[in-house]
Amino acid sequence: MSALRTTSVGSFPKPDYLVRARAKASRGELSAERLRELEEKATREWIDFQEAIGIDILVDGEQYRGDMATYFAESIEGTEISGLVRSYGNRYYKKPIIVGELRRRGPISVDWFRFAQGLTDKPVKGMITGPYTMMDWSFDEHYGSREDAAMAFADLLHEEARDLEAAGAKIIQVDEPALATRSDELPLVVRAVGAVTKGLDAKTILHTCYGNYQDIYGYFNRLPVEQLDLEMSNSGLDLLDRFKREPLQKEIAFGVVDVHNHVVEPEPVVRERIEKALTIFDPQKLYIDPDCGLKTRTVDEAKAKLRVIVDATRAAKADHGFG
Amino acid sequence: MVQTTVVGNYPRIGDTSEEQKLRRAIARRDRGEIDEAAVREVEREVVVDVLREQIRAGVDIVSDGQVGWYDSQSHLARRLAGIEIGGLVRYFDTNTYYRQPVVKGPVEWREPILVDDWRYAQGQSSVPVKAILTGPVTLASLALDLHYGKRRALALDFARALSMEVRALANAGATHVQVDEPILTRRPEDLALVRETLDRIAQERGSAELILFTYFGDVAKIYRDLLELPADVIGLDLVQGERTWSSIATCGAAKPLVLGVVDARNTLREDPRKLAARVRELRDAVDLDRSYLSPSNGLEFLPRTRAREKLEILATASRLLGEAA
Repeated sequence: MSALRTTSVGSFPKPDYLVRARAKASRGELSAERLRELEEKATREWIDFQEAIGIDILVDGEQYRGDMATYFAESIEGTEISGLVRSYGNRYYKKPIIVGELRRRGPISVDWFRFAQGLTDKPVKGMITGPYTMMDWSFDEHYGSREDAAMAFADLLHEEARDLEAAGAKIIQVDEPALATRSDELPLVVRAVGAVTKGLDAKTILHTCYGNYQDIYGYFNRLPVEQLDLEMSNSGLDLLDRFKREPLQKEIAFGVVDVHNHVVEPEPVVRERIEKALTIFDPQKLYIDPDCGLKTRTVDEAKAKLRVIVDATRAAKADHGFG
Repeated sequence: MVQTTVVGNYPRIGDTSEEQKLRRAIARRDRGEIDEAAVREVEREVVVDVLREQIRAGVDIVSDGQVGWYDSQSHLARRLAGIEIGGLVRYFDTNTYYRQPVVKGPVEWREPILVDDWRYAQGQSSVPVKAILTGPVTLASLALDLHYGKRRALALDFARALSMEVRALANAGATHVQVDEPILTRRPEDLALVRETLDRIAQERGSAELILFTYFGDVAKIYRDLLELPADVIGLDLVQGERTWSSIATCGAAKPLVLGVVDARNTLREDPRKLAARVRELRDAVDLDRSYLSPSNGLEFLPRTRAREKLEILATASRLLGEAA
């Protein structure tokens, strides 16, 4: 086993040529085949970059996704896509609308996983938008019950996880950014995520962010995954005392750079965050990554943030004599 | 018969290119291509569009859609002394985020914050435009306090500052002033603090009607006491706050209510006849002639087209209630 491995949460920014191509494709001015070629090119560039700087566990960068919930919903029967709604500031997104029984039309993300894994010998994560988040971020015109909708998503996402595993995924991450939305629904999160991960051989990860972690802390060890991937630098550093008192019985991927800020953290700042993490977690079970997906940064900012993560981790490993 | 109103925010962009002018303008400003004044101009065009949509749908008391607000917390807080604006935080149980006000010194009112925008909107509207403020207890609860150390002290200073704003709005001619305290659906135990802070605000309302609105949940536990607060009208979310319905039916209402009956967080279209029938059941408990129907909270959580439809559902339900009376 190795200590202090580096990874990423999921998304990377799209290069300008892909942003332009997607806009053209949405206006019907670019064929699906041509768009796919450019998405593959961008994916290849991000895989190459991660390999070049020496990240241990890779992601495909989600160059083919718009919003993480609508991307999945587009391949699920029983959904429509809404008009734009506001997320914050000048950011808007489209939401799934559940209009009938939810069923997977076929594998959703498997093809892209296979493509990305085919480009590298390092492990690439299989990435699933979690059932609770799919439910919470959708309008529901069909089930009339948050629980029923979440469990319907869970069933079909379990099929997706199985297919990712069959395609060779050794690590499957379930993204649940909505996890901390309603603390009274945490038992539902546990149940829905459990329905996705049950019986999988792959290592399972749950990623969440934007949390008031103090409220949900008691649920961390109950989440049916082997690793938690947490936003720590934007909102979690104050949690460290809690981790000391009530140890996490899982691996942790510890976010050390803020993804909502243009400023690239200087290496000493990142290094200090890693050192703080090392005071609490077993280095074998500690992974270092950004807080969240980097897609809202520019390509240059994202690359710089990934570089500083790798450099600071390398320095920490050298100082501590980790292999 | 029962009138209609809205709760506050409204989708500032839609799916047509024309409806996205504000999004484009802000993006251009962020790239340094146009200045702040140019954005404000587009903002005001959108305010006119939003007023028109509400009036056309038949809403009796409208809002400016809070089109110029970055979010419900930082818009007011950033112009008060003692506050800086921090990082993004999730807003209640929504998938939206606000910039968190960070309290670094005594909170004080410096100058009118909403008055110019209210005056502009009212000048463009044939019906009353409601002035809307986030309440002091919600502001104090959602801010990051690095100065007071006690939420009550911070809330009281927010109340003092907002009472100055309410005075300025009343002096400018606002006939309807609304204070939003969604925090009460999460912390009913804050009722005493809301009373204390609202007392101060109510003193400055002049002849304006003061509305206190709670949303994102029910207030069944504190319903009776809520009605005793120093507000002229109490606004209630009866969708996520479904449990409040029975409190109204059982306890009645000595004050006019805003009944938030149209789901502002889901696209599902309600049947206005069913809504009207359900509200009619309250006719012995509530003075419907002095009350209002509204969405359950701001309509910004919906796509613009669906927000428009929700306004029409609201107006139709109100008309049906009137016909049956």
